[in-house]
Amino acid sequence: MTAVDLTPPEAARWAARAGLVLPAERHAAVAAVANHINGIVAVLRELDFAEVPPAAAYRAGRETHDAAV
Amino acid sequence: MQPYELSLAAAADAIRSRRLSPVELVDSVLERIDSVEPHLGAYVTVTAERARRAAGEAEHEVAHGRYRGPLHGIPMGLKDLIDVDGMATTAGSRVRADHRATADSTVAARLGAAGAVLLGKTHTHEFAFGLTTPQTRNAWDRGRVAGGSSGGSAVAVASGTATFALGTDTGGSIRVPAALNGVVGLKPTYGLVPRHGVTSLSWSLDHVGPITRTVEDAALVLGALAGHDPRDPASLSVPATDYRPGAGTDLTGLRIGLPRTYYFDNVDPNVESAVRQAVGQLEALGARLVEVDIPMTRYIQATLWGLLLPEAGAYHESSLRTVPELYQEDVRILLEASELMNAVDHVRAQRARTLMRAEWAELLDRVDVIAAPSVPVPAVGAGQATVGWPDGTVESVSDAYVRLCAPANITGVPALTVPVGHDPAGMPIGMQLLGRPLGECTLLRVGHAYEQTQPARQPATAA
Repeated sequence: MTAVDLTPPEAARWAARAGLVLPAERHAAVAAVANHINGIVAVLRELDFAEVPPAAAYRAGRETHDAAV
Repeated sequence: MQPYELSLAAAADAIRSRRLSPVELVDSVLERIDSVEPHLGAYVTVTAERARRAAGEAEHEVAHGRYRGPLHGIPMGLKDLIDVDGMATTAGSRVRADHRATADSTVAARLGAAGAVLLGKTHTHEFAFGLTTPQTRNAWDRGRVAGGSSGGSAVAVASGTATFALGTDTGGSIRVPAALNGVVGLKPTYGLVPRHGVTSLSWSLDHVGPITRTVEDAALVLGALAGHDPRDPASLSVPATDYRPGAGTDLTGLRIGLPRTYYFDNVDPNVESAVRQAVGQLEALGARLVEVDIPMTRYIQATLWGLLLPEAGAYHESSLRTVPELYQEDVRILLEASELMNAVDHVRAQRARTLMRAEWAELLDRVDVIAAPSVPVPAVGAGQATVGWPDGTVESVSDAYVRLCAPANITGVPALTVPVGHDPAGMPIGMQLLGRPLGECTLLRVGHAYEQTQPARQPATAA
């Protein structure tokens, strides 16, 4: 467990903030999976995104930047 | 050869020339279902009477000069995420026990209009959120996983209980089971095949596509599926295309990218050698091999998870609160944990997708096709949880099966898996061909050319 990992009670509280009430017997397992997920997605913080916008969904092909009308 | 063993293209030729009746074909496949389905469990529901009725109508039409095209009278299965009017779409879940679709999905309607005959609904890993499909057994070894999430569709096609089937693919769910069962699977370009009426796992990553016994068959099915539908916001407007590859096998001038990184890392040696041998065959057909480096490999899994989990969590938000106990544990816990991710994680993954898309576009400027393994390891035993590698890495079976498929979901490029042999235990191995956006014709041409150089595939053995 790292310093930033959620404890089971914290996982339960975060879930409750999202409107999801977790039974007590699930707190530890959900915390473990949430910490695993966080460990995977956190690597994206290494990237320098500068002005890169999000691609909410992929669009095939490339944008055309010619402004011909 | 029995009718159930025919490829779609061969069956279509026989039906068109009236050497085979749709009734004979459908009866043969239904008899095959009776004999092997109890061992394999590919289907949730078999609609035998409906299929016989539709086959009779198809036969009547052919006899009266109304031939609809290559899918006329061809029996097929639909993954049970795909709505068919009046039938349940169970999505492999008890959450959907009382479901009843009130209209056809776009793909079901298009296949129906093309004359295809529905045999039934095939098993999916619950809500497509998994890579094994535990309800179904591998068509080559009943003790091994079918792969997933379109496991039922792949096993049905491999075992002769459907002439073709449809699957869906969010992180490999068409290509993984197709590769593990020795059949062809095509994940089309994002947006090419409309998803209206298909249960979502992750809107920005979901695709629908064919699972078939040959590349040519996949082309024939794609032709019936592709085309704009405004009810899917991702749907592309593309001109009608004949995807059927030509007979020639000459690949002179084609540049095939052979990855130096990522796709051959931590891959079973049998898989690597079979794929490299198949790539050598493509070179022998005239293609030029170009070594390529895959961009941003460190960020592939993070990007996929950062996109998929919040979207899946959002889709299931309501039922996770009302009937959480009806989900299987493996799916429930991922959905619960997804609600603890923050919005910036999700947007960061979307920005990573922007970068990855741009880098893949540059990569695909330099080559026409990339050839790689579809999955790092053939079908594992049904109870196996992890895969270990010589460098000490241990990954979950799901992570291993998603690893080489994920880039095509994130970038949206088309990807085709083609069988290229078997390991010493007899388990099938798949080669993945990735192309430019809307480059399906090139992928199908390459896959078909490879198939032409190989002896006819033997049917699956576990039935």
